[in-house]
Amino acid sequence: MSEIRTIADKFDGMIKNNHIEKYSYTLSQSEKQELNLENGEFKLMRTLFNNNGNIKVFLGSKMGAVGGNDITDEGLKKLIADGIAAAESAEEDPCHDIAPDQGKDVFKQGALEPDLDKFIERIKEFLDTVAKDFPKVRIMASTGSYDKWNWISRNSNGTEFEGFGGQYYFSIEICATDGEKTTGLDYTGFSTKTLDKPFIEMADIKEKLTNIELSLNPVALEGKFEGTILMTPSQAGGFIAMSMFNFASSGGIIDGTALWKDKIGEQVASEKLSVALKPFDERIVMGERATASGFRTEEADLIEKGVLKRHLLSLYAANKTGRPVLKNSGFDLVVEPGDKTFAEMLASIDKGLLLGGFSGGQPGANGEFSAVAKNSFLIENGKIKCAVTETMINGNLADVMKNITAISKEQICDGGGVVPYIAASGVVISGK
Amino acid sequence: MLQDIIRSKTELFADGVQTVLRGHENRQRSVTLLKGNLVNNGRSEAKGISARVNNNGTYGFASIAEYTPEAAEKVIKAATENALFLGRHSGRNIVLPASLGTGFIDLNDTIVDTEQKQIIEACKALDSYVVEHCPNLTSRTISYTEDSQDRIVYSSDAFSGHLVTPRCYIYVMMTAETKDGTPVELFKALGGYGSFHDNFDNLEQYHSDIDDLYKKIMDKREGVFAEAGYKTVVLGGMMGGMLAHEAVGHTVEADLVRGGSVAGPSLNKRVASDLVTMVDFAHTYNGERAPLPVYLDDEGTKAVDDVLIKDGILVGYMNDRETAQEFGMQPTGNARGWGFGDEPIIRMRNTCILPGKNTVEELISSVEDGYYLIDSGNGQADLTGEFMFGVTCGYEIKNGKLGRALLDTTVTGVAFEMLKTVDMVSNEVTWSSSGFCGKKQRMAVGMGGPHMRCKIMIGGR
Repeated sequence: MSEIRTIADKFDGMIKNNHIEKYSYTLSQSEKQELNLENGEFKLMRTLFNNNGNIKVFLGSKMGAVGGNDITDEGLKKLIADGIAAAESAEEDPCHDIAPDQGKDVFKQGALEPDLDKFIERIKEFLDTVAKDFPKVRIMASTGSYDKWNWISRNSNGTEFEGFGGQYYFSIEICATDGEKTTGLDYTGFSTKTLDKPFIEMADIKEKLTNIELSLNPVALEGKFEGTILMTPSQAGGFIAMSMFNFASSGGIIDGTALWKDKIGEQVASEKLSVALKPFDERIVMGERATASGFRTEEADLIEKGVLKRHLLSLYAANKTGRPVLKNSGFDLVVEPGDKTFAEMLASIDKGLLLGGFSGGQPGANGEFSAVAKNSFLIENGKIKCAVTETMINGNLADVMKNITAISKEQICDGGGVVPYIAASGVVISGK
Repeated sequence: MLQDIIRSKTELFADGVQTVLRGHENRQRSVTLLKGNLVNNGRSEAKGISARVNNNGTYGFASIAEYTPEAAEKVIKAATENALFLGRHSGRNIVLPASLGTGFIDLNDTIVDTEQKQIIEACKALDSYVVEHCPNLTSRTISYTEDSQDRIVYSSDAFSGHLVTPRCYIYVMMTAETKDGTPVELFKALGGYGSFHDNFDNLEQYHSDIDDLYKKIMDKREGVFAEAGYKTVVLGGMMGGMLAHEAVGHTVEADLVRGGSVAGPSLNKRVASDLVTMVDFAHTYNGERAPLPVYLDDEGTKAVDDVLIKDGILVGYMNDRETAQEFGMQPTGNARGWGFGDEPIIRMRNTCILPGKNTVEELISSVEDGYYLIDSGNGQADLTGEFMFGVTCGYEIKNGKLGRALLDTTVTGVAFEMLKTVDMVSNEVTWSSSGFCGKKQRMAVGMGGPHMRCKIMIGGR
């Protein structure tokens, strides 16, 4: 029996002794081994042993949620006492609820035991490759971590899920330098359960290194024009996520401000676009298995051929609005590939930007965005002309989704999502 | 609050290395009312112990989510082993930074807990005020958040101490619709340093802030897109603070200087007009407590002010002990970690551009055709000093007078070029302290600035 299960059994007894009839809780233990590099040298090794416990206590239809990292007997007693106090202070609201009985299950995912020596070898191999093949690139900071955890989740309807997981994560923060010339920063990373491929071949690492070296002589655009943005997979994923959270998530559906609140079954994006949450896709390293409300996680089509299929609704939001709950509280995003290669997409653009970074805030409820195009290149007559600096993009998220002109056959997988390149027209691109 | 149970474990510090042992607790309280519905009602605490060992430039760090003497012993041992393990793979070998003195800094304040019921009542009272006084909103959110920090730090060769940073805020968010049904939003953070009762015993003090926010969102309902291009603007104090933090502050963090930031070759050179002086304040500004005071950092450096730009000349960086030694500067107490499991890295504290001599009215009346940019929701910057701020609240300026409100937009520029265009600075400072800075870990920071007239690139349709 796992240690966390023993603690959970003890917690059940305490809950029973406090006569709490309706509840849900999750307890977890985790361990992190993290290697930190600065300017290409190993600088710090960090170990973190962490615990977490959170409980939702219901007194009638009043709900209180509390959490903490002390799962000793004393800590668990405090969690219960705080949970009761929080529930007592809450308002009656029958929309707060927990999932019905989902049965019992144990999930095992990823690399449950690390090979730290191999991990360090892969990092050193990566550093050597960058030094040899990308001499102008400086790896300012890099983090390689192995995380593993064991969690258990139970509720008063009888559900019990236990999870064991482990994964490697590697990220880089890079710039390029040549004499006194320095580029801006760029970042990327990936998670993986195996160490069987060199890191240079993972996710978009090679593309990022190539593009930062090509960014040493950026040009500040003058004037403005309406053009096409060719989004790299990381940016395309970001635009889709911003659209879903802005136009179709719980808060905006509850208060009625979400632009897509009445658009289920309607065309909200180009028919070229199909988007789903696929936690069981083999390319996703650590897909969600149980939702925050206690449901067994399910796959979910969000947009199919441009048609909105569902909203991202929590159980509370679903109860509040009388709409169906989404049995998926993660964001394991998979975007279906298109029918053109990246090269064909590039060749078809008269004037626009290859968008490698979006420096801007979360757009407001109306979807208007205004951001600085980072790590980006001017496209003219189907070819990349130069890197750009001090260049802004302005438009509306909803319009970008509708104005998608092409999606690439190639997809990039970073362990958390699988996304192709996406081109969209009608974005205002401006400089000084 | 934390009781000191780790002091005796300093006996386990090894010779020949620099060790810091830290007991640490973060406490969070949150309540959210969305259109009057209590959608969030939560409390949490995260507590633990960490140790960091510096063995000639190779660092070992370990932390455990337990606050016990046994946990202190374990993290000292594990951090030492991590430093030795990594030393076998690292080419780093530096002389350990010299001590700048030792001593104990006494507890600076207390953190007072509040019943969740009182927090909910306060949120409901402000929600009722909005309902009664702010018609024609399509949505409203009242959100309380408290994230207080309690640290006990013991250093092998520097200062030790027990410090707390309580802070709590109530965010008031309003949504309205333009004539064509497009939603527009604005928010305001009320509160600041201190516990609930320090900030929210008298809620009436915030009514004028809510009234002001309501006026601005009604103006924004009629708002227009900015005209994209390079414009003369008056940056409000909140924007000035964002400029200090994002556009300049990050480029002068010494770890980023070492990584190649534009501040490296700019030291002792002009980077701004001579009207610009910028300081990262430790704990006191103008004789009063700074928004988020820092008295001791997580390397045991006693915190003092750090002058970064003086009369337009870049004169300093923000350092930890190692980078200060490398750049020939004094560490001023910037190495901080947010949670018990976070290693200290170079962070800002209360970063501020100092006030000048003009009034705000003089700045606005001096602009023939430009913009008054009041508030920002977010910002980012790059090694090159290229920055971006989202502008959530602003107005046109036509012939020296305020015109129509602006819809959301973004401004950008290159800090050390843009700051040279500053030609008027107001005689007051606006501080903010509600946000988090993200740089591997989150960190609570204060930022402040005066109104400034300058040229900047603004995005628009």
